[in-house]
Amino acid sequence: MLDLLVYLLCAGILASGLLAVRLKSLLAAIVSAGLASLFAAVCFVLLGAPDVAMTEASIGSGLSLLIFLYAVHKTTRSRDR
Amino acid sequence: MADHILIAAAVLIFCGVGLGVLRLILGPTVIDRIAAIDMLTIVCISIISLYALVADRFIYLDAALVYGVLSFLGVVAVARYLERGL
Repeated sequence: MLDLLVYLLCAGILASGLLAVRLKSLLAAIVSAGLASLFAAVCFVLLGAPDVAMTEASIGSGLSLLIFLYAVHKTTRSRDR
Repeated sequence: MADHILIAAAVLIFCGVGLGVLRLILGPTVIDRIAAIDMLTIVCISIISLYALVADRFIYLDAALVYGVLSFLGVVAVARYLERGL
């Protein structure tokens, strides 16, 4: 059962990584990249490393999403978002 | 009895992850994808809680707690960005 869940989460990581590369909208691509690290953090918990998962969730998913949003907001004009 | 409840919860979590990723892939607008990601975060919190119960290690609930705070902060940041830009 646990192996199946880990495989499903790995498929989710692959799907969200592909979406982050393929999507045209920058905001959707940023959020998809955050989702990839979110699934990776759940995989870390299931593989027995909750501290690594906590760091991954806070840095990879929270802080990098905020920094990417800030960078996109600073480098684009407001109408061609 | 408890095993049946755990298996039912695991099946529901499988369905939730599958449907959420499907909406993430299909979703025509950005708002659909953000809603799907919020739902997937909550499903991830339930995965961690279920695994903490199954493996009998309640230290894993701390990771679920961090997850809950971060999902709220992320969705608030994205919503503020969509409204008037961070």
